[in-house]
Amino acid sequence: MIRGLLFALGGLILGGIIHIVVILLVPDFADRDAWTSMGRFGPDGAFHVLPMSEPGTEPLPYLDPRMATAVCRFSLENGPIRIKADMPDDFWSIAVFNRRGSNVYSLNDRTAERSDIDLVIATPVQLVQLRENPIPALEQSIVIEVPISRGFALIRAFVADPTLLPGAEAALRAANCSADVKAPAPPPAPAPTVEPDTDAP
Amino acid sequence: MRLLIDLAIAILIAAVVGFGSAVIVLDRDRLFGAVTRGEWTAWPDSGSANADPYTEAMLARSGEVPLGSGEGLAFTAEADRNGARLSGRCSYRIVGQTPAARLWTLTAYDGDGHLMENPANRTGFHSREILRREDGSFVIQVSPHVEPGNWLPVETDRALRLVLRIYDTPLTSGGVGDAILPSIERVSCS
Repeated sequence: MIRGLLFALGGLILGGIIHIVVILLVPDFADRDAWTSMGRFGPDGAFHVLPMSEPGTEPLPYLDPRMATAVCRFSLENGPIRIKADMPDDFWSIAVFNRRGSNVYSLNDRTAERSDIDLVIATPVQLVQLRENPIPALEQSIVIEVPISRGFALIRAFVADPTLLPGAEAALRAANCSADVKAPAPPPAPAPTVEPDTDAP
Repeated sequence: MRLLIDLAIAILIAAVVGFGSAVIVLDRDRLFGAVTRGEWTAWPDSGSANADPYTEAMLARSGEVPLGSGEGLAFTAEADRNGARLSGRCSYRIVGQTPAARLWTLTAYDGDGHLMENPANRTGFHSREILRREDGSFVIQVSPHVEPGNWLPVETDRALRLVLRIYDTPLTSGGVGDAILPSIERVSCS
């Protein structure tokens, strides 16, 4: 009898461990998570404008139907990536998520204090390299450090009125998820990028 | 032989308890980090880097992309002021004001999380198109029947879920605190 109870207790403890393991592994094995769903819209490394949410045809669950949305899955394995977009004057925001769908960074047009998006996403190691060899073209960029190797970025642009939708969608379609990190922003800069002893922060 | 039977029972218990409890927990609403103000509940942590593992698992299963803390905060309501579940068979008045924010949108969903289908093709309101009273407060009528003013049509016999998304708001950095959200009053049911 006591023996049986001990085995039952062991089973309960093992069950607790299984519970924890399942909860922790669900994001890696889910097949309807945001990352997997976004793969439907097109190849990685580019922004894809999602159709506006309408009853019956929501591209992703619980997207705001008053926001135009574009998503891009990216990988940092081949170096930092740069996101560039010219946005409309009204509210917009951009959020960066890891592969598991957790938010790691977000920003809106007012906190960005500018009307365009110029965001460089780098891993901690890549950021150290960027600091040692600053790229002049990135002086105006917002450089963020994220501890992830893969993830996705999502831009939301407010559409106050259906007549403004084409403009918002055009801006999102022109958004670049793999802009040249070394390319000069406004003025042309010399091609070689290794410039030691410039103003490292 | 007896050992094998005991082991089998222990493993069965482990499997049932482990997987069963995980499924039950994930089928419910997000467990941790809920902030409730009146009828409205938000999960500020789900949009931050320190979301708990249960929230991560729930988001992965639903495929939802939460609002980042730099974007805004989403409040969900599933019950009216008296605690009765929102139903598409009833009419409601959403009265009051919203917390400080640059922009907000209010959207009606059915119980499964799909946008409310309706002939008027209106799934929600945003803060700039709404008709307000002189003091800045507003009334939104959620009803299957045509209503004057801000009418949010619903067409379902089943549950109803309202989502109030507040964009660019100090609530995400300073905490929800004693933010005042509009109240949901039931008018009548058919």
